[in-house]
Amino acid sequence: MRSNSRRSFLRSVGAAGAIGTAALAGCVGIDGDEDEDLGEPFPEIQFVFQTSGASPDRNELGHLIADNFEEVGFEVDRQERDFDPLVQQTVVEQDFDVSLLGWGGTPERIDPHIFLMDMHHSDYTDEGGRNTPGYENPEYDELAEAQAREVDEDARRDLVFEAQEMLSEDQPRCYIANEGGDQPYNAERLDSVNPTLGEGLNGFWNFMELEPADGVDEVYFGYGADIISLNPMQDMATPDRQFIRLLYDQLYRFGEDGEPIPWLAVDEPEISDDGTAFTVEIREGHTFHDGEDVTVDDVEFSFDLFAEHSPTYQAYLDGIEEMETSGNEITFHLEEPDATFLSNALAQIYVFPEHIWSEVDDPSEEGDDEYIGSGPFEFEDWEREVELQLGRFDDHFQPPNVDRLIRIPGDADTLIDQIEAHEIDMFGNEPTPTQADRIADDPDLGLATFQDVGHLKLSYNMRRDHMDDVHLRRAMSYCVPKETFVEDIRGGMGTVTHSPISEAVENWHNPDVRQYNDDLEAAEEELEAGGYEWGSDGRLYYAE
Amino acid sequence: MGLREYIVRRILQLVFTLWAFVTLLFVLFRMVPGDPTTRFVMEYPTPEAREQRVEELGLNEPLYVQYVEYLGQLLRGEFGDSTHYREPVSELIFPLFLNTVVLMFTALIIAYTFGVLFGAAMGWLRGSRFERGGIVATLVARSSPEFWIGVILVWIFVFQLGVLPRSGIGAHGGELTMNVVDRYVNVDFLRHLILPALTGAIYYMATPALLMRNTMLEVLKADFIEIKKAEGLPERTVLYKHAARNSVLPLVTVVAIATGAAMGGSVIIETVFNWPGIGREMVASVTRNDYPVAMAAFFLMGTAVIVMNFVADLAYLYLDPRVKYE
Repeated sequence: MRSNSRRSFLRSVGAAGAIGTAALAGCVGIDGDEDEDLGEPFPEIQFVFQTSGASPDRNELGHLIADNFEEVGFEVDRQERDFDPLVQQTVVEQDFDVSLLGWGGTPERIDPHIFLMDMHHSDYTDEGGRNTPGYENPEYDELAEAQAREVDEDARRDLVFEAQEMLSEDQPRCYIANEGGDQPYNAERLDSVNPTLGEGLNGFWNFMELEPADGVDEVYFGYGADIISLNPMQDMATPDRQFIRLLYDQLYRFGEDGEPIPWLAVDEPEISDDGTAFTVEIREGHTFHDGEDVTVDDVEFSFDLFAEHSPTYQAYLDGIEEMETSGNEITFHLEEPDATFLSNALAQIYVFPEHIWSEVDDPSEEGDDEYIGSGPFEFEDWEREVELQLGRFDDHFQPPNVDRLIRIPGDADTLIDQIEAHEIDMFGNEPTPTQADRIADDPDLGLATFQDVGHLKLSYNMRRDHMDDVHLRRAMSYCVPKETFVEDIRGGMGTVTHSPISEAVENWHNPDVRQYNDDLEAAEEELEAGGYEWGSDGRLYYAE
Repeated sequence: MGLREYIVRRILQLVFTLWAFVTLLFVLFRMVPGDPTTRFVMEYPTPEAREQRVEELGLNEPLYVQYVEYLGQLLRGEFGDSTHYREPVSELIFPLFLNTVVLMFTALIIAYTFGVLFGAAMGWLRGSRFERGGIVATLVARSSPEFWIGVILVWIFVFQLGVLPRSGIGAHGGELTMNVVDRYVNVDFLRHLILPALTGAIYYMATPALLMRNTMLEVLKADFIEIKKAEGLPERTVLYKHAARNSVLPLVTVVAIATGAAMGGSVIIETVFNWPGIGREMVASVTRNDYPVAMAAFFLMGTAVIVMNFVADLAYLYLDPRVKYE
């Protein structure tokens, strides 16, 4: 901290000097001509982050980072935005130098593929693509592709570890924290809950395995936003998927550790030697909620339906050349070998009843109002902004413990009050530290702790010349008070990270990558190494 | 100029105002950065998937084409489909609108009934401790933010006394019905209605109370009040039958505008009490760039204000013979 206080001092002296100079103009020649041998001043940093209304935590962190940037000599333009405008400006228009945004952690992201491939491979740098920084490194691309092809787990882990090391050295992004946290529930009405990795109480295995107390047959689940649509042929957000998967089954489901496990399928898929054919046998005797049998024809129909209409899943099904059914088996023939086909397609595509959806003219415009699937819960009723009512599907091969599940959307603070008033039983978002303290004081309420798979990060726009310098990016990453964010701003919820793969994903997380903790001295050393210099006002300049 | 001509002219003005309003809304919403797919950018696996969506929604068309299409739709009495929920706007906002109307009317009726009586009494008892205390109380209510009133009421009735539910419009897990009678006429609903309606009533009460008091003070100076008193009529009769009745006139405009604005709901009350109303939806649809819903919600509210203003003007003609249509 020594050197940065020197710089603050210099800056204030500089300001006083300016006044002094003005006052003494013409009397004494004390112009700051020592800056003359410096190059151009470093351009102002366009730093985009969320408003305090959109996210108080991230807004506070944004300002702390900006303060540190200024401390080491950057000029910062702090651009605070609501969520949509922020995404539009940074992800779509790519108009930023530095942006602060998070990636959610859903079960399909426990496998490192999406974080390593979609977010950092050079194929994804277009406007709206997931590689927001525009990171293009042929060496890295090779690693990311190799890990996707590698079927041997140990060999793949080596590649995944190497990729994390490379990202940490190159710093296209600064990975800050896995936010995770505590979600409240009513311990008097629920004997146990099962918060899952990445999703907490929103997890599939929580709704399946939560144990209501004696005499409790309805469970009230609150969440800070309403379902947008239960029709996967339309745009979907994460909360939508979290409920669609209760109503509909997939061939495989992500287990609690993120590994796909057989669900409608009887066993692991049989993969041909050349890796281009996946054969799956499905359960016999399972029915949809309306009593009709679930058959391989329904499976084939659904894969066709999603390939044609689903904006979210289409891309994963491009590689299917044809499907073939016989008896209880369906074989997917792929254009080329694909190690991710199980987790990206077989474990994600929902099986829809052909007898209902074949009648629908335009599936992306309208759907099935009764949402007949074959999942462990069946649809009962739904009024937007009021509640969604689901009941247990008694004929399911793995029925949940609870009779009815009621989902109540609303303002997060109001729902926390409802938890405290014992009007709802679970809440799928994290309370503020103050709210969490109150909840902890109530003997009837509990807090379910979970670890996050997703992460909060800074993206550096490497398309811009002045950002395309690894020393500069490393210096900026040293300005991020990760520890303060987790311990003080979030009241201890979450964990600091230096890699895109969460430490909670033990199998794939590389703990030995280069670390960037809040260290302004290290930041200045990086800047010096990059050939930057400071003017007498403390501002950063390119060297002459 | 005859009455009929006056009304026709006012209606033409009304149509023009509505057109200008709709056009302004259309332009304003399109100026906001992003579009309805922005929210899902990170959900689409590829940018192409998103472009396809934008095309499906017709948002790649030139703005003037979209504008003409929208006006045509509106003339046919349609609001189109929500780009966020992908269902007809009318189906989406009808129940929300109904919830808002029920809540706001209850609040306004309480506010104006008690506000007017209270204001009349304050004017009548000018200079008394009742008046001084009353003014302080009204000003406090008027300057307290709605959410604060709501939070205090919640603290008292939910967390201290435990007699009323915290939020929502009914007990969780109950029957969801669109039958207006089953929906609104039951004890459970009324229990949920009390706190939000009371919050609104306290907040809105100050305007009629203060206005009523001020006009009362004017009217009380008038000669006919002295005459009525001299006639030996009981004080109560002079107060409510003669003085108060003549002071009500300015309130007509205020009631009309308040009613119109109330159609837009109160974002704050609806948020604090998780009341599924149009106000909350209006704000949410703007942040989501859900143009059709935002347009429809603002259109309904704006139309209500414009129409109620018109109604107030007409009511003036009837109530006050001194007003001429010119």
